[in-house]
Amino acid sequence: MHPDLLLMLLADARLPVAGHTQSATVEAAIAHGLTTHDVPAYVRTRLQSVTLVEAGTAVVARHAALTGASVDVVETAWAARTPSAALRASSRGQGRALVRLAGRLWPEVLPGLAEVRAPGRATVLGVVAAHLALGPEPLARLIGYDDVQTVCAAVLKLAPTDPSVVTGWVVDSLPDVDRLAATVAHLEEPADVPAVGCPQIEAWAEAHARTSRRLFRA
Amino acid sequence: MPDHHSHGERHTHVHPRALRLGVCGPVGTGKSSLIALLCRELAGRLSLAVVTNDIYTDEDARFLRSAGVLDADRIRAVETGACPHTAIRDDISANLMAVEELEDDYGDLDLVLVESGGDNLTATFSPALVDAQVFVLDVAGGGDVARKGGPGIERADLLVVNKTDLAPYVGVDVAQMVADATVARGTRPVIGLSRLDGTSISELLSWVEATLDAHRTGALVPQDPGPMARHVHAHEH
Repeated sequence: MHPDLLLMLLADARLPVAGHTQSATVEAAIAHGLTTHDVPAYVRTRLQSVTLVEAGTAVVARHAALTGASVDVVETAWAARTPSAALRASSRGQGRALVRLAGRLWPEVLPGLAEVRAPGRATVLGVVAAHLALGPEPLARLIGYDDVQTVCAAVLKLAPTDPSVVTGWVVDSLPDVDRLAATVAHLEEPADVPAVGCPQIEAWAEAHARTSRRLFRA
Repeated sequence: MPDHHSHGERHTHVHPRALRLGVCGPVGTGKSSLIALLCRELAGRLSLAVVTNDIYTDEDARFLRSAGVLDADRIRAVETGACPHTAIRDDISANLMAVEELEDDYGDLDLVLVESGGDNLTATFSPALVDAQVFVLDVAGGGDVARKGGPGIERADLLVVNKTDLAPYVGVDVAQMVADATVARGTRPVIGLSRLDGTSISELLSWVEATLDAHRTGALVPQDPGPMARHVHAHEH
């Protein structure tokens, strides 16, 4: 079977991992003044910061799973580069949903994650990708693409506009997704995971975790 | 959480995990109040937990916590990303994780109540999420709603016609509304409920206890009320 098919499966919003509960912090961003006009810039900023960390983590976790190195050390490296507790909690919630699904579909991936108490989404995706023989670059593209789509789909719920315009933003961001993949695809060591946070996104994520009015989990 | 009992547990309960009971129905029909009522009446003898699916706030979870009928930590809110229907039907992951977390945190749970974010008449729970479900209507929503039917009205395990004490003020004939619902549901039960009517509350509690017993003996088989109404009438879409 061609690995592209599994990549499509993992990138599909219909994958039952509660993706519909996620906004990639754009709900908080809009609540704090980000306008629809700013969304393409928001997407670009994520791809150069928090999402780059996620993609680098997934690629290094994949490498660890393939070489027998510690996946837990990769998870720790990710956590150290994700200062917002809200973002870590959100990623771990998504990781749990993915473990739940992967454990049913490919139980062989579970031992590779056993040493990590509550793995984040990037770590889980890395280990799953290793099992499914997905390459590092496709894996990184998956992380980048999913992030862009999560933002854009949430914007259509929060501030509806012509969906073809929003899909145009996704298309426009694809070269940035490619650049992100090229930046992290060769990484192997936990120390190599990019350490580029985005304080504004982290602050919004923290505010979102504290509000009592929200549509999206994070 | 194991789905099946081990042989060692067979002599006690066939189902070692809690009964998962869904409560759904349109906005404002009294789902949260019904759950608060169940907690108040049952918390003394059963170990309970609640998962709420608020649409845009944690209002329902806060309402239940402030009602003080259950330890606040036993009430957890799940966000649905403006997709309350999806969260109880096609991608139940977020709800299942919340239920399982509660079951992990409180090993002795007897009953987990899952409250849907109020939705339209077509929203019912997946049988993969809940073992049984209650569909809640109220008299103030109009006397003709039960007659219109829909999957929850026709085939939920229990239909509650709530706030019967308001009937005189909204010009609804409760007996007729319950009769319409009964026709739509065949042998499935209907309860006309009012928080001011002790008999109706006893009826509800008896149904919950019988359902819990059926769950424990393995007699309860989760049923999908389905996404569609049984009959298509000209006035429905």
